[in-house]
Amino acid sequence: MLAFISRRLATAVVMLLVIGTIIFSLLIIVPGDPAELLLSTGGGSATPEAIANLRSTMGLDKPVLVQYATFLYDTARLDFGTSIVDSGSISSAIALRLPRTLEIIVVGAILALAVAIPTGTAAGLRAGGRFDIAASAVNALLTSVPGFVVGTLFIYFFAQVLGWLPAGGYVAFAANPAQHLQMLILPSVTVGLHLATIVFRMTRASVLEMRGHDWVRTAVAKGLRRKRVVRRHILHNALGPIITVVGLQLGILLGSTVLVEFVYNWPGLSGLLVSAVEQRDYPTVRAVILTVAAIFIAINTVIDILSSLLDPRIRLQ
Amino acid sequence: MMSMPRIPTRMIVPSLLLAALIVIPFAAPLITAEDPIKMAVRYRLAAPDLAHWLGRDEFGRDRLARVLYGGQVSLTVAFVATSIACIVGTFFGLIGAYFRGPSEFITTRLSDIVLCFPPILLALLVVTLFGPGAGTLVAVLSVLYFPTFARIAFSEALRVTSLDFVEASRALGTPSRRIVLGTILPNIAGPLSVQYSLTAAAAITIESGLSFLGLGVVPPAPSWGQMIRGARQFMNQDPLGILIPCAALVLTIYAINFFCDRLRDTLDPKGGAGSGMDDVSAPLALANAPAIDDPDVVAMITDLRLETSRYGTPVAVIEEVSLTLRANQCTALVGESGSGKSLSSLALMGLLPGAIRQASGTLQLRRKSGDVVDLGFLDARTLEDIRGNDIAMIFQEPMTSLNPIHTISGQMIEAILAHRPMSKTEARSHAIALLKRVGMNDAERRIDSYPDQMSGGMRQRVMIAMAFACEPRLLIADEPTTALDVTIQAEIIELLQSLRQDQASGLSLLFVSHNLGIVADIADRVAVMYSGQIVEEGLADLILRDPHHPYTRALIESMPSSHEALHSTGGDRLPAISGTPPLPSARPSGCAFRDRCPIAIASCAEIRPQLYPSPDGERSVRCLRAPEAPGGLQMSRTEAA
Repeated sequence: MLAFISRRLATAVVMLLVIGTIIFSLLIIVPGDPAELLLSTGGGSATPEAIANLRSTMGLDKPVLVQYATFLYDTARLDFGTSIVDSGSISSAIALRLPRTLEIIVVGAILALAVAIPTGTAAGLRAGGRFDIAASAVNALLTSVPGFVVGTLFIYFFAQVLGWLPAGGYVAFAANPAQHLQMLILPSVTVGLHLATIVFRMTRASVLEMRGHDWVRTAVAKGLRRKRVVRRHILHNALGPIITVVGLQLGILLGSTVLVEFVYNWPGLSGLLVSAVEQRDYPTVRAVILTVAAIFIAINTVIDILSSLLDPRIRLQ
Repeated sequence: MMSMPRIPTRMIVPSLLLAALIVIPFAAPLITAEDPIKMAVRYRLAAPDLAHWLGRDEFGRDRLARVLYGGQVSLTVAFVATSIACIVGTFFGLIGAYFRGPSEFITTRLSDIVLCFPPILLALLVVTLFGPGAGTLVAVLSVLYFPTFARIAFSEALRVTSLDFVEASRALGTPSRRIVLGTILPNIAGPLSVQYSLTAAAAITIESGLSFLGLGVVPPAPSWGQMIRGARQFMNQDPLGILIPCAALVLTIYAINFFCDRLRDTLDPKGGAGSGMDDVSAPLALANAPAIDDPDVVAMITDLRLETSRYGTPVAVIEEVSLTLRANQCTALVGESGSGKSLSSLALMGLLPGAIRQASGTLQLRRKSGDVVDLGFLDARTLEDIRGNDIAMIFQEPMTSLNPIHTISGQMIEAILAHRPMSKTEARSHAIALLKRVGMNDAERRIDSYPDQMSGGMRQRVMIAMAFACEPRLLIADEPTTALDVTIQAEIIELLQSLRQDQASGLSLLFVSHNLGIVADIADRVAVMYSGQIVEEGLADLILRDPHHPYTRALIESMPSSHEALHSTGGDRLPAISGTPPLPSARPSGCAFRDRCPIAIASCAEIRPQLYPSPDGERSVRCLRAPEAPGGLQMSRTEAA
């Protein structure tokens, strides 16, 4: 087990390194001078002094290998440098905003799993039944609604038409817990809805597949109660594939969170990211994306370890 | 699969819907003469009128024109990017699969890495460098998606290249290029087209998302994402502003997904699931059950008829099956695969697949308590109490019959606790004792291993131990040795024999098999099934020594272990039974075996043979030409020899 975990952690580190390298090399393979490229706005080009200035702030004047080593060293220390727009520390900006993004994702994911696993199981157990047909149809429709559309429509209905919830914004939990939670509802439901459609689909398929296995027949033949057969011999087996797929889909989920935060003015990572992209603040964009990729890899590592606990075959390989 | 003569019915609606949603935006000039870019601030947020069906937006531009032309932009970006990704990816995948080597590494690993990136973030990274615009979007999206295509093309092509006909054309000297283009590509087109529509939907989502952030399509060119962004501030005064582009976007993505789902179902039709958890449908009509008077009888199947439904009409898969199972007796149910022997035994467990229904007949069981119940009439709870307790079952496939994610101890203990009130520790020591009884060495240690750590023979021993856990009255063994090595087969049969004799309560064993050699060793009585019916039944010795039904005789003659029989007939080859058994839906009139029968006569096509008992009642046979049959149709002695 320990060997498995350490192997998995090593893989995660290698993945991070590869992704870091790719992100780093994007600047190198860009045709022309990246500093000039970043400072160009529409038709006008920047002054030579500004370009030279940016080149030295970003370290672009040093040899590539030195740049690469510095980049790796700084990243390992979680020092992402300073923004080329306002010279603030990128690391502290991320530290401030990351927890807010994680909050939406975690709450959304809990909501999604709580709704989608039971409904997906029910649909899978009676595939082709009335509930399955209805739930699958609703799911197919919801799958087709992008997160930012859900967000926009939610704001219209729940905030504008019904006036039940605030249209967006953020208040720290410490400052006003009730208002904080109120503002948390719509963003996390929006993020969760998207994940729920994926989890539902996966749970249904996985349960449907597990249901047909010989060991389920054995369990029934042993005289186990139906509930126990479903829980221990169908759901327990189905959980592994479900969480693996969910882990892989988290990339899309993290991406849609960017849009959802934007829709609701939730000051998480995405606000930082979007304004950085608008202002072509490459170091900040790079840092945010590295952070998100790291979160993605970390979550998938945890999921791999979890599924090895669920399924001994993964451990024994 | 290589040629599709016509569009399947299920594809018509999604195809038409998708085609309409793609064509309509490009027919924009035919629908409206308005310019999607021309502003008329004076008319900002004007309500719909005859000239502007959907009203005007915040700059007074015609909304209908903007939705249509915006659709053009979104669809073009998505489909151009997807097409590039598909072509480039398929190319890489095919090269990787056909030539293997380093190109294989590139195609498979690349997609792993790209999958790690949230796609929209990678897009944002590139937009930072190159600035927003439709061209940037197409480039980003194609780079994002081509590895997925490469991976699918790679694995599908690998599967196809190993198929016989590809090997064959390679052996015939067909050039590689011809094989790839002519043979492999059409065969992997299915999975690729599913991925194509999935990707197109994802690309539209990302394009609209980026445009919504103001980082995608550059204004003033219209795009749905941008329209939603613009209308957001005015949603109070003008809800149409957000609702219309939202609807257009959702409808388009939905149409693509819908098309994709149907396409996937059409290309890969997966029937209903297997046997495990299907709901057994309740029997319709039941004959009056004869009372079981004989205390020795453990179970009695009377006139069982099982039906499945084919295009709405019921088709019998099992007919007129009657069987009496006695304590201390082993009854063998013999027949080719598809003869209905497994279904008959599953019916006794209440484990029939969902597609099969008990139409008539009774399945009576004497429980340990002495009560006689009809298994077809019981509620789910009582049936659960009976399974594993009064009746236990051993299955054919020990490799898949145990749950791979639970330990042996977990699976045995739950079987015991389902019927015995005892503590977990007691159940565990009971389980260890059972494992020792089935001859497992080191049972204390092995009980904590997982099924995957055991051989097939070991697992079958575990299955047997589990079946004996609650001392059942009836044990059904469905081809318990078929999946095992010959040496292990003998051990398992020996084990079953000794356990059967050990159990004081008088076990009745129903042994389902096609292996007459094993049947001869273990069975007291034999029932031979053919095409859903019992064709011969009686004492094992009698029947195996002197079969009266031509099918039984053919089965015995085709048995490799019956050397004496082989030599006495003078042949040096194993005779095979010619022909195949009829499908349940296409059984011939009269005798079901007549098409394959060497001694069939004209009457066999007209008269449906009954199960005729012998005068002494020791055996019965369903054949017009058997000695038991009424009338003068018996075959002569010379014919039999």
